[in-house]
Amino acid sequence: MSVSASLTPFDSPVPESMPMILENLPDPVIEGQVCPRKTRVQIDLILLALEALELGGSEAILAFAQELDLKVIIKNRVNLWRLRNTNPMRRAHIRRPLRITEAKALVVIASYLARRLTVVIRQLLMIYQQLSDKQIPLEQNLRLSNYLERFRAHFKSRMNPRRAGLLSLTSDEKIDELAINLLGQLLFCTGTSGMQRFWISLFDGEVE
Amino acid sequence: MNIQRKYSLPNCTLLLEGLSDSSKAVHVQELRPVLSILVNAECQISGYKPLLGGREFFESLARAASAYAQECLSNVSNPQAHNPEVELVQFERIDTNKHKMIVNSELPQPTLEYDRSNIKPPIEVDLNTVQLFDLVEAIDQFFADTQTLPDLTAQLEPVPKRYNSSKKTFVQQAVPATLGVSSVAAAAVIFALMPAPKIPTPEPETEKETRSEVKSSTTDENNNVSSKAEDVSESTKSNNNSTKNSSPQVEDLEALLSTVPEITDTSMLKLLTRRIRNQIDSAWKDRSLVGENSIYRVAVATDASIVGYKSVNKGADDRVKNTPLPELLYNPNERNPASEPIAQFRIVFTPEGVLQVSPWHGYGRELIGTQINDPDKVNNLKKNLENKISEKLSQDRNFEKVLKYRVAVNQEGAITDYEPVNEAALEKFRDTPLPQLYKSAKTSQASNLNQEPVAQFQVEFQPDAELSVTPWQASQ
Repeated sequence: MSVSASLTPFDSPVPESMPMILENLPDPVIEGQVCPRKTRVQIDLILLALEALELGGSEAILAFAQELDLKVIIKNRVNLWRLRNTNPMRRAHIRRPLRITEAKALVVIASYLARRLTVVIRQLLMIYQQLSDKQIPLEQNLRLSNYLERFRAHFKSRMNPRRAGLLSLTSDEKIDELAINLLGQLLFCTGTSGMQRFWISLFDGEVE
Repeated sequence: MNIQRKYSLPNCTLLLEGLSDSSKAVHVQELRPVLSILVNAECQISGYKPLLGGREFFESLARAASAYAQECLSNVSNPQAHNPEVELVQFERIDTNKHKMIVNSELPQPTLEYDRSNIKPPIEVDLNTVQLFDLVEAIDQFFADTQTLPDLTAQLEPVPKRYNSSKKTFVQQAVPATLGVSSVAAAAVIFALMPAPKIPTPEPETEKETRSEVKSSTTDENNNVSSKAEDVSESTKSNNNSTKNSSPQVEDLEALLSTVPEITDTSMLKLLTRRIRNQIDSAWKDRSLVGENSIYRVAVATDASIVGYKSVNKGADDRVKNTPLPELLYNPNERNPASEPIAQFRIVFTPEGVLQVSPWHGYGRELIGTQINDPDKVNNLKKNLENKISEKLSQDRNFEKVLKYRVAVNQEGAITDYEPVNEAALEKFRDTPLPQLYKSAKTSQASNLNQEPVAQFQVEFQPDAELSVTPWQASQ
């Protein structure tokens, strides 16, 4: 398939020297070294949850790209935007492949961001647990409802409602459920092997 | 020297106790010697009693928790997290933030006289996501610690497509091995045990006779699969060769079974199935080498060591070197198989890299417990079973092939045992409600190992979603 090559003049090929940090993540056995649809959706959603947790989340992503020597892959804001819009659920979805190296870079950054937010993530999950055990509406807690509100706002403004509808993410409750689910997934990213665990899970059901 | 390693997280503490292998320790005075032999593992989840066990428990805990964490990340069901046949520890999702860990009791070191009274009911622990994470993190910190059980490492791999898609075509192999071979003469050759305490001198007459048996059956089989004439002669040749090669070591299985008891106890068979599977699964490295299904009949002692194996289908003999069986074969010089009870298993290595392990005669060859014969009762139980299964059977479930099971229920209608009868049933049992129904029955009454009266049924799931339940005919 030469389609991918001809369509991506803006994205210069990945340089020969791979940033060291990416070597922690094994290459999946997958055709063409590009990410399946599910992988692209999940990476973008995890980043979306991080943005809902921390104001200025997308700035933080770029700052980490700098700090972790991943600038060769995630060069600037436009480049990051293009990578994230490989998520087919996006309103501004671009038909461009997400290369394995690009996905790795995003996963590394997401895991570092998640680790920095470990305490918040744990607290929010504990709050959620307590509220749902006592059947108290989630809005009663300011911190949790802030997160959920921001996530809903991000989600609705960036995702194509028709495509999101396919995943039955139509109501606020459904989007909240997704946000809580992502919070749990973020917690797993914070661990000793969190980065590897998150990376490997992105290819569940996709490899031979 | 007794060594303790502790991995502490807010909601979970993992305590490992063990010894250092003195033969390997170079520096006796090492600050932090390698814990290489695990004696005790303790897992303390906040709010619960500590879970205790040995190496089998700990390995299973690590594997299942790791697999389940992956499932939480991807929402793709991970077979290793829900495998009651193989793992002592399983996980189930209750909702977004709640998870259930089920720990089956580790059996005591198997002895020649296994004692069912030692089997305890499973322990259930409900975890929220933060507790689950702390458990997984404690395990990850253990994996990262090179001074504690360095032979155990985290196995992180994506779940392959074959487990995710329900549309898997199953290649029917030529030999439905569960049916076995009716002729005792053929069995003498085909199902021979490799290691024998003494070298038997086979009588030439018998050998000739049995060899012709093999020849004819192989030819039949090849005609069935309509392969080329060349193949037939070649495989017959190789079959004969192998028979010859192994014949000095071959011991008549039937003869062996007449001298040693065969293990037929269902719970013991389940335990051995689990151990054998673990053993072979971890030893099976390069899974790309098995081109076709390779089926073996394997004899196993009570400590789960493999004391003999024999290929069952065409070509499996040649491919045995691509399986871990030769290296797992217990050194015959060190034991006397004639004095131990053995269990027989059917082991299939598939080209997709899936390992199938099942007792050769299925679970409970002899019907377990006394039978409920009262026609009224049987009829009621039948209706009850039909309802229970239909209730759990999702409407859109569509099986590609007929799945046949033998299902035993007790007087209360709880499923006490089930067994796949055909190949497709073995493959797809997780898609049926049976494992779930069996498990709920097991947890509600821990006494399922008692020999209580049961009624047995043949349950068939038809491709058109029809369910058929008929009384089991023992002769089937």
